[in-house]
Amino acid sequence: MLPAWLAIFPPSLRTPLNKLPVSVIESLEEVRIREARPLEISYGGRFAFLTPDGSLTDEHEAGFRPNREDCRAFLEKLTDHSLYAVEEELRRGYVTVAGGHRVGLAGRTVLDGGHVRHLRDVAAFNVRIARARIGSAASVLPELLDPIARTIRHTLLVSPPQQGKTTLLRDLARAISAGEWNHPSARGWRGRKVGIVDERSEIAACERGVPTFDLGPRTDVLDACPKAEGMMMLVRSMSPEVVAVDEIGRPEDAEALREALHAGVRVLATAHASDLADVFERPVLSSLAREGMFGAYVLLSRSGSEVRHRVIGSREAEEEGLRRRRGSWNGVPRDAPRSELRSTPGDRDPGADRPEGTPGLAIKARALPLIRSPASREGGEAP
Amino acid sequence: MIKLVGAALVLFAGTMLGFLQAARFAERPKQIRHLLHALQRLETEIGYGQTPLPEALARMAGVLPETLAVLFRRIADELRSSSGETVKNAWERILSEGWPTTAMKAGEKEAMLRLGSSLGGSGRDDQLKHVRLAVLQLQAEETSAREDQMKYERLSRSLGVLGAALVVILMM
Repeated sequence: MLPAWLAIFPPSLRTPLNKLPVSVIESLEEVRIREARPLEISYGGRFAFLTPDGSLTDEHEAGFRPNREDCRAFLEKLTDHSLYAVEEELRRGYVTVAGGHRVGLAGRTVLDGGHVRHLRDVAAFNVRIARARIGSAASVLPELLDPIARTIRHTLLVSPPQQGKTTLLRDLARAISAGEWNHPSARGWRGRKVGIVDERSEIAACERGVPTFDLGPRTDVLDACPKAEGMMMLVRSMSPEVVAVDEIGRPEDAEALREALHAGVRVLATAHASDLADVFERPVLSSLAREGMFGAYVLLSRSGSEVRHRVIGSREAEEEGLRRRRGSWNGVPRDAPRSELRSTPGDRDPGADRPEGTPGLAIKARALPLIRSPASREGGEAP
Repeated sequence: MIKLVGAALVLFAGTMLGFLQAARFAERPKQIRHLLHALQRLETEIGYGQTPLPEALARMAGVLPETLAVLFRRIADELRSSSGETVKNAWERILSEGWPTTAMKAGEKEAMLRLGSSLGGSGRDDQLKHVRLAVLQLQAEETSAREDQMKYERLSRSLGVLGAALVVILMM
């Protein structure tokens, strides 16, 4: 049984990929195609080059090199033969194909008044395979609960790229919507209405408006909608109780998040950052974090195919984030008043409602993704 | 007696041949007109709906009579399949294969093939320009097709009957 995403490759690229061992296919994370350069795959935290007959090697000279025709056919297939319909995506440098797989593109940009107007001569592709990991939220969700409001706290999922943020967000949305709180005191709670703003069509992978991933019974998805606008649209029209968005970071996102907060909606968001100090360093995130927007932070790190997480309450997060970078904040006087938003329910001490048995706030060094070469020519041992 | 039957057959065949030819002359501007309408549909699909090309072609086929619709439906199916064929190749192959079944001639074919070589490969404004260019070319062909129809439709009909009559007279 071949995975559906293989169908997006033209036959010349599909043939070598088709011959990959099942264990590699199952743990595949990225397929990187560069015109006239060797075809690379990364799987289970390591990378390798692919030879024309489909075996793996770490010698790049032996790799299969896709030519211009292959790349053109691939781009056509990715855009469903319609570049005109994905102009906006090309401007941002990625397209999302059926199944929620995001394909990053690189080529030559065409500028218009200093802004990128579109991308031409696309010569490099990065196919990121999206997977639903049903149940991955089960260990995280109990730590995010807000027992008084019977819902979750405002939560920010933080990790460097490729650590499973979107996958976790997807499963959290599903669990919240299905009412799988996985906590003894939440036994009587029912599912919550979840609204997802899926700007990149990655979370839900909608086809004609219908999510192809399981997102639970009470979830509405606003597909391909800008986050800031989408959050407000959802709040106005769909009365969600929890709003989930991916990768916040622009100033308008912060505005919309504040609006949502005051509309009585719980927010579940992700952001690229390597640790809490980074969160407090990025302008938009730090202003949100210092206002006490988020009631909980989840830090993800991954080794191999195992994703680890750490949940931190807002006050500890603030302390930790500020402590580490205090010296580098030249623009902010040390005694500057921090904006006070203490009355928000999300800002309570999370230690009280953390279920027993979960690990405390042990500081763990950030694990970088492990990069190894395959142990043998035959595709390495199963990860 | 047999001679008479033969003469009647020749006369019938000749007449039919003439009518067939005349029908082709009458059919050509009609088909070009249909194609023009379909291209207008394509223009809205690309410009307003930003519909992906396979879907747009299928919808375009919806406003065409069956003889032409089948071509565009085949292209749409080809693009949806996993064969990985580019628009340019699929368009060229299928239109060239199917062109003899239509009443249209080389001029229209050329305009359509030129459209196919750029379809789907650029931004919206550029696509619309290409479609409009094809529309202009087809309109020119339509005018000449109408002139041909005026000139040759009745001519070929009479020619069929008269030619057959000539053969009969010579046979007698």
